[in-house]
Amino acid sequence: MELSWSTFLLEIVNFLVLVWILKRFFYKPLQSVITRRRQDIEQRLAEAEKMREEAERLQREYEGRMNDWERERQRARADLQEEMKAERAQLEQALQEALQQQRQKAEVIEQRRQREQRHQLQQRALEQGSHFAARLLEQAAGPELETNLQQLLLASLAELPEDRLAELRRQLPAAGEPVEVSSAFPLSADRREQVRNGLQQILQNTVHCHFSEDSDLIAGLRLVIGPWVLGANVRDELRGFARIARGTDRE
Amino acid sequence: MNGSELFPSVLFRVGPLQITGTVITTWAIVAAIGSAAWLLSRRLRLQPGALQTLAEGVVIAVEDAIRAVAPDHVKLLLPFIASLWIFLVVANLCGLIPGVHSPTRDLSATAALAILVFLSVHWFGIRSQGLKRYLRHYLTPSPILLPFHLISEITRTVALAVRLFGNIMSLEMAALLILLVAGFLAPIPILMLHIVEALVQAYIFGMLALIYVAGGLQSQQLRQPPQGERHE
Repeated sequence: MELSWSTFLLEIVNFLVLVWILKRFFYKPLQSVITRRRQDIEQRLAEAEKMREEAERLQREYEGRMNDWERERQRARADLQEEMKAERAQLEQALQEALQQQRQKAEVIEQRRQREQRHQLQQRALEQGSHFAARLLEQAAGPELETNLQQLLLASLAELPEDRLAELRRQLPAAGEPVEVSSAFPLSADRREQVRNGLQQILQNTVHCHFSEDSDLIAGLRLVIGPWVLGANVRDELRGFARIARGTDRE
Repeated sequence: MNGSELFPSVLFRVGPLQITGTVITTWAIVAAIGSAAWLLSRRLRLQPGALQTLAEGVVIAVEDAIRAVAPDHVKLLLPFIASLWIFLVVANLCGLIPGVHSPTRDLSATAALAILVFLSVHWFGIRSQGLKRYLRHYLTPSPILLPFHLISEITRTVALAVRLFGNIMSLEMAALLILLVAGFLAPIPILMLHIVEALVQAYIFGMLALIYVAGGLQSQQLRQPPQGERHE
């Protein structure tokens, strides 16, 4: 074991050369590549972190939007339900009103129908009663009845109010015509005279009478003085009853 | 077994310099490592291949080792410490090649590396702290300890050189003796032991060098605030 100074010095030089070579061709390029790769990785990590933060921000934003939409949807749904409820109530009220109107209308129609039916029944009853009374009176009518009716007519004329009598008297000369006297049975001369005298007393004027027969009257007289028609016969009375009954029923 | 096998002989002379087998082997190693580094540096990519991954792994491992001891001086120490490790691994393993002797079985080579470590300790220490502040640590904690500091500097450098030389030289000698005595298959475990021992000795030498250099860099660290990698 001996120390060679030449080897010693050359080894020092050799190692220093090796250090220079490795530093020049090995460490620096490798460190540069490693540094660049680390920078690249850090840049990518930073970009990834940035993207992650952006994604989280978007996620929060979308969640917020979703919550807003959900609240808005629930509010709109509640509003819609309120509107539907109000609309339903309004429609139900309108339907109730329409039903009430229909019901009232139906009741009115029913009442009218019943009144009409009742009126028709009354009318029919009156007509039947009239026919019955007419046939009964036709069989029961006679000169005695007609005499009574004549007296009744003259008494009724005498009991007319004064203003109507005055009106009747004014019509007499204006007509200039004879008083038409119709009877169901032929009048005797006495009865014709009684009628003429009665009329002259009531009308306080000279009266010309034209007597005729009308079996349709059943019994009694009918006087036509100008536009006035004065009746005291069964037919007119029956018609008058029927007219009065119809008028009463219409009211 | 003759003297030429145990101790390197002079192959030729260049002026006053004697060129031994150790020097020739060292030149070959430097040329091989330099060529490999040059070829590798021409093919560096951001997406590394297998060789580039291996090379980057070596550099990162050395950086981590330096960072564990001297975290503020990684880039400053990397070329020297990494070169020591790479050279010693290759030089120690050269003995496995038939007909080639490891340069580190020569005391001249290990002494040269030890002297370089010794000088590096002071170089990096003075460079980082200044001459006065660096020399002051020899007087701390008491000037009485100055002789002991000096003896420590010398002995650890001698120990560094002799440890590597003794281990590698004895390893080769043991392998040679077993090869001579046992014949053909018996040296294989010894060769495996050679590989392990070569790696361990390279690691020990490089780690001790790193610790010594880091000690020189951080000798005054307790008295000054951290300054970061101001020399990088």
